[in-house]
Amino acid sequence: MNCKKVFRLLSIYQDSELNPALERQVESHLRDCHACRSEWEGMQELVGNLKCLQPPAADPYFPTKVMARLPANRAAKFRLLPAITYALVFLTIFLSVFFLQLSYNNTVGAKKPQAATFTAVLLENQDLGLLAVHDNTLALFER
Amino acid sequence: MDQQTLTDDEIVSAVLAGRRQDFEILVQRYSGKIIHFITRMSQDRDEAQSIAQEVFLKIFQNLPYYRKENNFSAFIFKIAKNMTLNWLNREKRTVLFSRLLAWEFNKAPFRQEPPLVSHHEQSERDGDIMRNLRLLPEEQRLALILKVYLEFSYKQIREITGWSIPKIETLISRAKSRLKKNIQLQERSREVVYTARKK
Repeated sequence: MNCKKVFRLLSIYQDSELNPALERQVESHLRDCHACRSEWEGMQELVGNLKCLQPPAADPYFPTKVMARLPANRAAKFRLLPAITYALVFLTIFLSVFFLQLSYNNTVGAKKPQAATFTAVLLENQDLGLLAVHDNTLALFER
Repeated sequence: MDQQTLTDDEIVSAVLAGRRQDFEILVQRYSGKIIHFITRMSQDRDEAQSIAQEVFLKIFQNLPYYRKENNFSAFIFKIAKNMTLNWLNREKRTVLFSRLLAWEFNKAPFRQEPPLVSHHEQSERDGDIMRNLRLLPEEQRLALILKVYLEFSYKQIREITGWSIPKIETLISRAKSRLKKNIQLQERSREVVYTARKK
């Protein structure tokens, strides 16, 4: 086993999570390789220092405090108030969208251009006699 | 029956059957570990107590969803992990918002991060460790704390976090290397300052 591989396995070895075969190989390498052993010792020192941080002092009243705050009913039962709130929110959104859509359609509908209409105009003294004229054109003459 | 000999599953069954007072045995059994875990994650001892209370209330509410084939310890630490990470994220947002307000109105921020070295950690070395633990990325810190302080196996950490074993191996290994490097750097820079002052 080379140093690169041992270096990668050191942390797992330290956590005692390596399989026995790999563990033996790492141990044998550590016996022979000074650089890896130095790395290993550094890692051991670090974890030793980490473990030196003491757990916080226990509060003797902690269980009592928790028990005093336990809810009366443990099981999450159907609660009416949130259900009504959700229903009202849903209804409000639905109605808002519905009326917005309705008012949009009405507004757009009012502005819609009417279909072009043509009026038959009798042309006096002309050979053509009858001519279909667009209303907009007719409006120009009427002005 | 003696309380100490009851298994977690037996206590859970009793609580679910209506013996609410038995929940106190679970609180007594796990409060030390849960508070230790939250303290190391949040680096705030006072806040850890109140988060731990919320964690136990959540555990009580979620007892009906606990499956006996799973590990009870993993079940409660999963809840503790989720609630602590939520608290950390909320705290980050509050600190950021407070800074923004302070910058906008030119006043002192109403919320600041807890000091890097708490007054509880007396020695310089403990201070270094606390500071560097806090500077680790959140996932690395979580994996390392679960392994080193709670002494969970990689399989139990997988149950708590949902991460794969190779990911856990990598996170813990990187966390150790990073901590080791940072602590060495700090020690070296302290030595330089000390020598300079001596001169």
